[in-house]
Amino acid sequence: MKAHEIMRRDLSSVEVDTPIAEVIYLMEQSGLASLPVVDEEGVLVGIISERDLIRAALPGYLEMLHSASFLPSLNQLSQRLKEMASEPVSKYMHSDVISVRPEDEDLQIADTLIRNELKQLPVVDEEGHLVGVIRRIDLLYRLV
Amino acid sequence: MILTVTLNPTLDKFYWVDHLPLSLERVEEEILIRAKKSATSAGGKGINVSVFLACMGVDTVAMGFLAGHTGQIILRDVLARGATANFVWIEGENRTNVTIIERGKEYHPVKIHEQGPSIPPQAVDMFLRKYRRMLRRAEYVVLGGALPPGIPADFYRELVRLANEAGVRAVVHAGLTALREAILAKPYFIKPDVREEAEVGGLPARTEEEIIQAGKHAVQQGVEICLISHHVTGDILVTPQGVWDLEARVPLSKYKNLVGADDALVAGVLYRLVEGDSVLDAVRFGMAAAIASAEIEPKLCLVKSFIEREMHEVEVHRKEGG
Repeated sequence: MKAHEIMRRDLSSVEVDTPIAEVIYLMEQSGLASLPVVDEEGVLVGIISERDLIRAALPGYLEMLHSASFLPSLNQLSQRLKEMASEPVSKYMHSDVISVRPEDEDLQIADTLIRNELKQLPVVDEEGHLVGVIRRIDLLYRLV
Repeated sequence: MILTVTLNPTLDKFYWVDHLPLSLERVEEEILIRAKKSATSAGGKGINVSVFLACMGVDTVAMGFLAGHTGQIILRDVLARGATANFVWIEGENRTNVTIIERGKEYHPVKIHEQGPSIPPQAVDMFLRKYRRMLRRAEYVVLGGALPPGIPADFYRELVRLANEAGVRAVVHAGLTALREAILAKPYFIKPDVREEAEVGGLPARTEEEIIQAGKHAVQQGVEICLISHHVTGDILVTPQGVWDLEARVPLSKYKNLVGADDALVAGVLYRLVEGDSVLDAVRFGMAAAIASAEIEPKLCLVKSFIEREMHEVEVHRKEGG
């Protein structure tokens, strides 16, 4: 099975200059935990996830969560997110995006998802345009 | 690629009933109508066009505004049908449009349409950014349906202007003010329905003569294809080359569900235009797609061989030119 047969043809994405407040709003409304970031031509240039936002707001916070037995106050996180709200997503996104092509095989996709511990992979055409997304669950659903 | 815009998407809910009592003959506590069958699907004119095209193997992207749980269901259905989705998410809930179809009166359904969520200005800006981007990859763009609350009356005019600027052929599948405004920007193809509103681009369109005059006026303003539905089984085509009357020889009693038939018409025309057919041949196929869709209970007929079988039912009469 090839990537274009598995992928969700959902181009939900944000642009590099989209403010963080808009990114959070879009994640909340769409129910997506991460969003591809595209340039004005629709070429994939990054990925922004909830995890990236928390890490940016409170460096070390995620690591602390693993060892702490209770949650500290969220005031600091809230304050920092408010400061970040008007900043562009390009400041916090991952630019080293791992992606696959529509003609890539399922085995290669599974390998990429597992090796890189990814929940989803963007699919891009030969010019780098975002054409879809493959979630781990999409692959599992097709394989079962 | 064919881009479609549905500013006010809907979840179409269909109920088939044996009997629909619309008035009370005696005092009762309530009216209970048991549906024999029901069906749900993503809808709105642009979405229906995208679903049809995707099933015919045409690359298509559906755009517009989604909201809430209903929006999630609409998105899921659009993706499941093979169309690409590029929607803007807003707060609230997309509308649900209910159609009740009574056995023996299938050509006369009862419809309840919700208004849909209001579109905030920042969502309009997000949509326009996405729209400009998608136009770079499109051959045609279909602007389908009425404008939801929050969208300015001249919005389709702006979308047609942007499409023309990008060298993309704009199709306006809407009526009243939205169409009147859009015509000013010279769309390539318009598909008014004078059964819903007896005007085209501000001109009256009650009689055949008025319909032809209104179509000619649109063509004089720069429209290349003006296809006016004036009857369940009849359309008038006006182009710079002439005027044609198209009639389907199908009795009303054969129709099972008329919702979506006009969207199948537009989608069918586009499908064949992309394939390289002449306008007249494309319109004949579009009408066949509309008939085939109306003759089945699901909203759209997505089987090409069924559509092609209906093509011989479409009669084309040249009225002027050609």
